[in-house]
Amino acid sequence: MSQTKKSKGLYGMWLGLLGVAIIIGMVAAFRLFTEGHGLFNTNDVIIWSLPLGVYIFLALTSSGLTILASIPLVFEVKKYDTVAKRLVFLAIATLMGGFVSIGLELGNVFHMIYNFISPNFSSPIWWIGFIYSIELLTLVLKFWRMHVGDWHSRFSKVLGNISFFGALVAPLMIGAVFGLTESRVTYFGPVMSIYCLLLAFLSGIALSLFYDLMYARVTGKDVSEKKVEICNEFTRIFSYALGTVIVFTILKITIESATFVPEFLNYHKFKHAFGAWRIFHTEVIFGLFLPFVLMAIPSLRVSNTARMMAAALTLLGTLAMHMEILLAGQSRPVGPKAEHYPEFLSYFPSIWEWLVFLLAVAVMLLLYTLGERYLNLEEAPA
Amino acid sequence: MPRYAMIIDLQRCVGCSACSIACRNENNVTDGIYWSNKITQTSGTFPNVRYHYMPTLCNHCQNAPCVRGCPTQAMHKLDNGITMHDPKKCIGCKYCEFNCPYGVIYFNWDTPHKTWRNSRPLIKGATSSPAEEVKKVRGKAIPYYNPEREATLPGIRPRGVVEKCTFCDHRTRKGNLPYCVEACPSDARIFGDINDPNSEVSKLLGKFRPFRLREQLGTEPHVFYIRDFNPANYQPSKGGI
Repeated sequence: MSQTKKSKGLYGMWLGLLGVAIIIGMVAAFRLFTEGHGLFNTNDVIIWSLPLGVYIFLALTSSGLTILASIPLVFEVKKYDTVAKRLVFLAIATLMGGFVSIGLELGNVFHMIYNFISPNFSSPIWWIGFIYSIELLTLVLKFWRMHVGDWHSRFSKVLGNISFFGALVAPLMIGAVFGLTESRVTYFGPVMSIYCLLLAFLSGIALSLFYDLMYARVTGKDVSEKKVEICNEFTRIFSYALGTVIVFTILKITIESATFVPEFLNYHKFKHAFGAWRIFHTEVIFGLFLPFVLMAIPSLRVSNTARMMAAALTLLGTLAMHMEILLAGQSRPVGPKAEHYPEFLSYFPSIWEWLVFLLAVAVMLLLYTLGERYLNLEEAPA
Repeated sequence: MPRYAMIIDLQRCVGCSACSIACRNENNVTDGIYWSNKITQTSGTFPNVRYHYMPTLCNHCQNAPCVRGCPTQAMHKLDNGITMHDPKKCIGCKYCEFNCPYGVIYFNWDTPHKTWRNSRPLIKGATSSPAEEVKKVRGKAIPYYNPEREATLPGIRPRGVVEKCTFCDHRTRKGNLPYCVEACPSDARIFGDINDPNSEVSKLLGKFRPFRLREQLGTEPHVFYIRDFNPANYQPSKGGI
């Protein structure tokens, strides 16, 4: 069998697989719209679950990709021009995946639209909806301008600047959803906003790195020297981002484990969603420390396999960290709800929640695939 | 404009839950949702142990985190201080429930009063079905449906939105007391206008040392607790070592 025929077959199989995943996800969506959230393993204590965690992860990753794209598009670092178009497209596709997840979490697509048109300026949730909608619009317009060859006109630059600004503010707002929750001391404060921004950048650079390496591996195309250099520099940025998040995470864990504030004592009793070794959660060990160690060893840092593994671990780790944060703060019933529930609640997603996850990821991957096929994502201005 | 508040006298409260039952009837509240609820606390260890009972409901906070956080203003304040919810505007994000420091907001995860909608008889040919029972008494989804609730809120709130106590705003606007206050057999709940210095609530707040739940959060709850129920006695003692 010729190489072309084999790759065509694989491509068809990949599309078929995504199609099946999307059909299964649509069936789940229909069930959710008709039967409601009784299908989720949630209750009046564990209120937000996997679909919201997936939304936060994908939306933040999209912000991270947009921030990364701003290096060539806003700050005009020309040598990164060759990756800019792909970064913008990945940001759009990732955000679309996030919107699928939040749409199903809300249980009604029209609710997302209503959220947009009925503002409450004191609500971080309203701001998130508003900013991400604007961000999606400006990213799509920016991509269109780039696609038609207009990279640096005044209009194109304004679009780039707006999406960059949105990508900076939206993670702060996601953090504020938790940070403004007086009822849950473990979340309260500006720390959550800064943490979300850092995690956004980390997962954005991890996805970009993983995607580029995977793309090169799947297509088997020769990688230009210029692209190798960009990959090396992105690996370095990735390592710095990992280091920053590690410092922040250790600080957070230290405070949580040292304090005697009653609400924080949750952490001593709470059975961590993914297990823990002493005070370190599993996802922090495998999703932050291990990738950092891999990238700190010079011989591994230059290996594409090690880079891909580190990036994949980081992506899984950040998703798990979002889930851990989400669940740990909700694990204990508030006020009279303790009458009807145990002291601490554990959570495992229902099949329907997994299917929401599947649909969101499948939509995102389908967009990646079609974009890569038809939109010439490696294009750069002459 | 009045500013409504409630005082709960813990010395008078006997923990009979009449308030909770009255609330369910008045507001057609479905299973699993508690507009009126309680916190039970035990102090000490056996055999030196006591049981405390604290009724709870929406605190109708002045600085309500649920109102601040609601993205669509479905949760809003009325001029009389009542924290009200509009299910038509609610997008089901559940942020109010997440944000409420008092655990008094609930989400309709499923179709409300599902049991009563069942059209299958318990014993075929012998008993009627729950749905037939509802029809027989001309109820609406439930046999004890209270249509008066519809004055300011859907009589039964739909699936996918939150709900909570409204201080029986449909009654207070007609000059009636909230139904939990009316139903309390020991007059442990006192309701009125906190802006009026001659109201019962103002007098009682001046007479006793009231406290509110999680006051340190600055939410300014408008449900106050006074006194405590403890008939225990003990011989004067200075302890010993």
